[in-house]
Amino acid sequence: MKPQEPIPHNYPMSRLNAIFAISALVLLAVTGGIVFYDYVRGWKWFQMEFMRIQQERIEQELREKNDAETRAKLAALDKEMKERQVQIARHRSDLVAAQKDLDREEGRHYAADQDYRFAKALLDAKRYELESAIVKKSSSRKQKQREFDELSQRVENLNLRLQQVTRERDAARERVDVWLGRIKEVEDRRKELTAEIDLLNRQLFSVSRNRDFFILNAPMLDFVNPTMRVEQVVLNDLFIDMNYMSVPRVDRCQTCHRAIDRPGFESKAEAQRLIEDLRFKLDKNQFTKDKRAEAEERVAELERLLARPEILNPFRTHPKLDTFVGSASPHPMLDYGCTVCHRGQDRATEFSRAGHTPASGRMERRWKKTWFPFFPLPKDYTSRNYGWAANPFLETPMYPRQHYEAGCLKCHSNQVAVNGSDEITRATAMVELYGCHSCHKINNWRFSDLQKVGPTLDGIAEKTTPEWAFRWIANPHAFRSTTRMPAFFYGRNMVGPGVPAEERAQNIRFQDAEIHSIVAYLFSNSSNRQWQGGTGGDATRGKEIVERVGCLACHVDTETVTVDGKTRKALRTDFPLERNFGFNLVGTGTKTHAGWIYNWVKNPKNYDPHAPMPDLRLTDQEASDVTAYLVSLQKPGFMSQPIRPANPAAVRGLAKGYLINTMSTRDAEAKLDSMNLDEQLVYLGQRSIEKYGCYSCHDIKGFESLKPIGTELTIEGSKNPHLFDFGFVHDYEAWDHKHEHIIHTVPSWIYNKVREPRIYDDARTKPYNDKLKMPNFHLTPEEARLITSVVIGLTKERVNDSKLASMDARERLMEEGRKLVSQRNCRGCHVVDGYGRAIAPLIADTNFLPPDLSPQGRRTQSPWLFHFLKDPTVMKIRPWMNVRMPTFHFTDEETNRLVEYFAAAGQSPLFDMTRFNDPPARNVAIGREVYTMLRCAQCHLTTPVDPANPPMPNVADTTSLAPNLSLGRVRLRHDWIADWIRRPDEMIPGTRMPTNFPRSAETGEFTSPLGGAAIDGPGFAASKARLLPLFQNEEELRKTMSDAVALTNYLRDYIWSIGITNMREARPEADAPVMTVPQPPRTPPPTPLQTGEGAPSVSAPAMR
Amino acid sequence: MDFIKNFVNVLSVASISFVLLSAIFGFILYFNLFDGKLKSKSGYAFLGFGIVLILAGLFARPLLYLGIAYLLIMFVLANLGGRLWDKKVGLWLLIFGAAGFGLSMLDPNFNLIAAKPDNVPIAAMIFLLGFFTWLALRKAYLNDKQIEAGGIPWEKTESDEKLFTWPDLVYTELLCMILLTIVMIVWSIGLRAPLEEAANPTSSPNPAKAPWYFLGLQEMLVYFDPWLAGVVLPTLIIVGLMAIPYIDTNPRGNGYYSFRERKWEIGIFLYGFLVLWSFLIITGTFLRGPNWNFYGPYEYWDPNKLEPLVNINLSELVWVKLMAMPLPKLWFIREAPGLILVLLYVALPPLLAAGPFRRFYLKMGAPRYYVGAMLFLIMMSLPIKMVLRWLFNLKYIVNIQEIFFNI
Repeated sequence: MKPQEPIPHNYPMSRLNAIFAISALVLLAVTGGIVFYDYVRGWKWFQMEFMRIQQERIEQELREKNDAETRAKLAALDKEMKERQVQIARHRSDLVAAQKDLDREEGRHYAADQDYRFAKALLDAKRYELESAIVKKSSSRKQKQREFDELSQRVENLNLRLQQVTRERDAARERVDVWLGRIKEVEDRRKELTAEIDLLNRQLFSVSRNRDFFILNAPMLDFVNPTMRVEQVVLNDLFIDMNYMSVPRVDRCQTCHRAIDRPGFESKAEAQRLIEDLRFKLDKNQFTKDKRAEAEERVAELERLLARPEILNPFRTHPKLDTFVGSASPHPMLDYGCTVCHRGQDRATEFSRAGHTPASGRMERRWKKTWFPFFPLPKDYTSRNYGWAANPFLETPMYPRQHYEAGCLKCHSNQVAVNGSDEITRATAMVELYGCHSCHKINNWRFSDLQKVGPTLDGIAEKTTPEWAFRWIANPHAFRSTTRMPAFFYGRNMVGPGVPAEERAQNIRFQDAEIHSIVAYLFSNSSNRQWQGGTGGDATRGKEIVERVGCLACHVDTETVTVDGKTRKALRTDFPLERNFGFNLVGTGTKTHAGWIYNWVKNPKNYDPHAPMPDLRLTDQEASDVTAYLVSLQKPGFMSQPIRPANPAAVRGLAKGYLINTMSTRDAEAKLDSMNLDEQLVYLGQRSIEKYGCYSCHDIKGFESLKPIGTELTIEGSKNPHLFDFGFVHDYEAWDHKHEHIIHTVPSWIYNKVREPRIYDDARTKPYNDKLKMPNFHLTPEEARLITSVVIGLTKERVNDSKLASMDARERLMEEGRKLVSQRNCRGCHVVDGYGRAIAPLIADTNFLPPDLSPQGRRTQSPWLFHFLKDPTVMKIRPWMNVRMPTFHFTDEETNRLVEYFAAAGQSPLFDMTRFNDPPARNVAIGREVYTMLRCAQCHLTTPVDPANPPMPNVADTTSLAPNLSLGRVRLRHDWIADWIRRPDEMIPGTRMPTNFPRSAETGEFTSPLGGAAIDGPGFAASKARLLPLFQNEEELRKTMSDAVALTNYLRDYIWSIGITNMREARPEADAPVMTVPQPPRTPPPTPLQTGEGAPSVSAPAMR
Repeated sequence: MDFIKNFVNVLSVASISFVLLSAIFGFILYFNLFDGKLKSKSGYAFLGFGIVLILAGLFARPLLYLGIAYLLIMFVLANLGGRLWDKKVGLWLLIFGAAGFGLSMLDPNFNLIAAKPDNVPIAAMIFLLGFFTWLALRKAYLNDKQIEAGGIPWEKTESDEKLFTWPDLVYTELLCMILLTIVMIVWSIGLRAPLEEAANPTSSPNPAKAPWYFLGLQEMLVYFDPWLAGVVLPTLIIVGLMAIPYIDTNPRGNGYYSFRERKWEIGIFLYGFLVLWSFLIITGTFLRGPNWNFYGPYEYWDPNKLEPLVNINLSELVWVKLMAMPLPKLWFIREAPGLILVLLYVALPPLLAAGPFRRFYLKMGAPRYYVGAMLFLIMMSLPIKMVLRWLFNLKYIVNIQEIFFNI
């Protein structure tokens, strides 16, 4: 056979081997990469960082604890220990002998104990044998019985022996302890001294990176029992809607937000707030004894926090732990988690994936930076460079920082106020007041069944002139800088800087024509009654009346404010929301005439049966004076602004544009030819009102059945970002040339939309009628932010009924009442539910403030409240008051709704029968005496008076103004009076009623000023003499006098006894004075309005 | 820079890029056939086409760009000739391509699309496809030259040799496995799984894209009725691919690369695979944005972009535009022009068999010829329909709504 030729290899082996070696090493490396990539997680970095912070904190505390004094004490103890050890060493032989003795005894005890236990076990087994033998009637049962008895005896003996041995052992132990106890005593003292330090050391061990930490958290080993782990809350009744199924939420936010439910990591501002809050409560002695110590410790801790560097997120404690997250709060973390309010991806443990949303472009840029692209870790704690990237697929990104409270609406949109101090309460009130819901349907309880926000225009011709109306519609903010009427015309997309000059001129012609036409339609459809009266008033007196009777609770009477020494045009936000409820009084004289004003202030319902303005019961003279004052409020220059005449071509063009929707162009032309300019204007006016939706806010004849024109906002917060058309807008340039970068998120879109509604038309070429038409409210950034919060809070996410707020019947009743309170602007004058009283800053003397209604339901009886609300003249509680409770002309239904609300809010029954209780004579007698001793009569009168017309007290003596107590029985609730006397300041902070029964700083209980030796004082001698017969002995008298509750009850009984029991009920609606002379509708005034040709144009409205 | 970007944007519009690609494809195959030497007559034809494009470009900017690009590429290719298959030139082409791609990644809009984890494999596919096509054609070119010179194909000389299974086969396979595993691991760490939001029947993503391997089909939906593009054509593609071994019985080129011996087979297959199928996938991946509108590679995917919907049917074109009369009521009269065209198209194989394609008919035999020709016609209906759409905004050739039948 021929030997085979060597076959050559395709590739040299050495090269293949080299490649194999290299690639195998690379494979090993990338496999290591897998482990590394899996191991290195952002949340671990955050947990380590938090450990570092804790470690630093504990080490600092340790240094503080381990001061020189402690060290000296420890050294002394060590020395003593050494001395005692030396002593013992001297008697060493004794100790050794005792120890040996003890050892022996221990051994005996062990054996005896074992014998006893074994014998007992045998006995138990024997018992079973015996019982079963008895049941089976076995022949051996007698034998068994004998054995059992013997064994019992043995156990008894062994027990005795065990006790004996135990005593002997204890004696031996004591002999040893005599020696050892000397050392142990020192050791105990030492332990006591170092207890805190030891605790801190143990804590330090758990947060420091020691050997245990590295082993437990090592890669590949960390599945066993790692100390760094993902923390989560499983929420089985809060779901995420995944379209095909609902998935329980599993919130893992705590994995990085380590201290979220742990006090001690608050921001400095929050710490400051908490300190103030706690100090206030401490000063008022509102804590019981043990709670007090706790609170003091907390204050000290918070003060230490203030001295340390600021804690940043994610390591902060959640603010307001008593409301959120805290286990005692209404929203404990274990029940509510985080994402149900904040939104975001519940299960994500990585910064971007969790759905964090930047609040601004600046924040976005900072977040986007990263130091290591694969692993989004910040470089250090403060740089906040997270390698963030927007997650466009997350349907519920978190609310950005400035809109956190939007999340409240998901569960609280069936409440008027979540909490008076909350932002969201103000925000929803703002939406209600500005009337967003009028044009944009919002299908939830909070924004349904509200009245129209604008006045009726059915009688506009009675009130003002077309010339005024034109100028007003053209630019309402030029007339009143604080008006809620938005600017529809000459907006950014019509005459803004980006609009080409030619189109701009055309737009102005169209806009002029539309305003003319709207004015023409309104005036041709207006009723035209002639209002007379109001002459002969005095403006100075009028001004004084306006300031006195409470007009300014709802109205503002100035257009300039001075802030920080600078005077500028007023904004709505310069005044409380409640004071924007009515229009700004500035310019009233320019707008309307004396006759109308006179009749309006006399009774607004004459002009408009649905007017929100109440009746202040002004006399004819007062009304005339007010009229004179209001007429004197002129807006100089406004009526001299030129008005361009309507351009017939523009009117015709716009009208034709509408007509050809329903008919051919030729028919439209023919129809227009048959109309003169006025008729064309009226036609166009109707169409324009439809286009701009004026009827959404105002009652206008002919538009009764139309639906609101805006986009429905019911689930606006759930819409996907791609449904929001940013147009070509990336940067925002305001009219004042301020530049801003606009980030493309839903909150940002809405914020910019409400701030500058026409912005998304920038750079777009649209037909005139297709341009955006949402009007400009000239919102301040703050207003825009709040309104955005509400809009993005309206989502389709639903939570279980069990987690919704205000779901039971009583709470629904309250909320209906609260809505009416909000709709009637009661908070202009009153504090309701703890907030409100916008008028307060205008009234210097607290005696003249309208009452705080927070405890109203507990305070007053329902029948009285009903009659008083219907007709406030039935009783004058404080006759010296200047501000008048107006007559609102509530219907019975509305009145009942309010009464029910107050009763429910006060947790009181709707009705009580205590009015008919007659207190026992003894109680009255004691009460009268206490009344005298406490000198209540200094302020309060007890002489019965006519409730409707009580005598005027001496107003000059402001310290003595107080209600007449004889009115209490028909008005106040029986059980409330005593409670009020005890703690007036807690019910109504800042009340004039003095706190006679202060809480004890020790116990938090009420103390009596008459307790102890007070009764023995010379001043009370007569009283004591009178009181003694009423008690069995002096001791009982003393006891009663120091019992605050009993004293207040006696006082209450006394007040009850002197009360009148009858008062006038509300009169049926008094008919308004007949002054209305209905006349046939007036023909519209000739338009176009009078102006000079080529007059300078109405300049584009000046922006703020 | 902006000019270049704009230039590329315009060129990548489907109609332009398709024409350019078809022309280059034809040109490359053409000179592969003739050893890179342009015969003067054909040379003038290619040049003439370019001049026509330039002239037409005076009226329409995109055509001017097309003409410029076309002439530039033709100039380069004609000068390269057979050197196109040199290793060095191949390397330079790769370098140019990679550099162009790398520079484009600096553009934010391009980067956004190309660096999307879903699209990375398709970007890689462009290069792989180009490389392997180049490699195959290079080997075919070299073999063809060798055969022309009276030699034997390179594979033939090689196949007589013997090699060990170990190490020459198994060792290299092992190395490939390791290297591929490394690539997969690095890829999966570097690019995240492209997960999107929870499925929601009420909200579809915009653009809603099929998986990449179906994007060719989705692109076909632009030009064809769904039942054709979605049912008939995919079925026929599979059937046609299965039928290839039975239709193509040409024994030459078996086991070795050769172009000249199989120019029709290779030409048709590569046209269908590269210019039609892969081109559609690439277009669908990179150039179709919101609302399935066309976006250049450097263009921002603006969801507001609108393209006019002005496509018309052949019946409207004939009756309304040409003959200025209303559409006939009866569908078979109304659609008569379209139906006649379709019938004519289907009648092409027998007609051609009698005429220019007699050679094929005789060589293949009737059954193979007719099946092959029908499959070819159906394949070619795609570019024809595309060109008709671009030229005449033609929507359907036959549009019988009465029985939901559209072609």
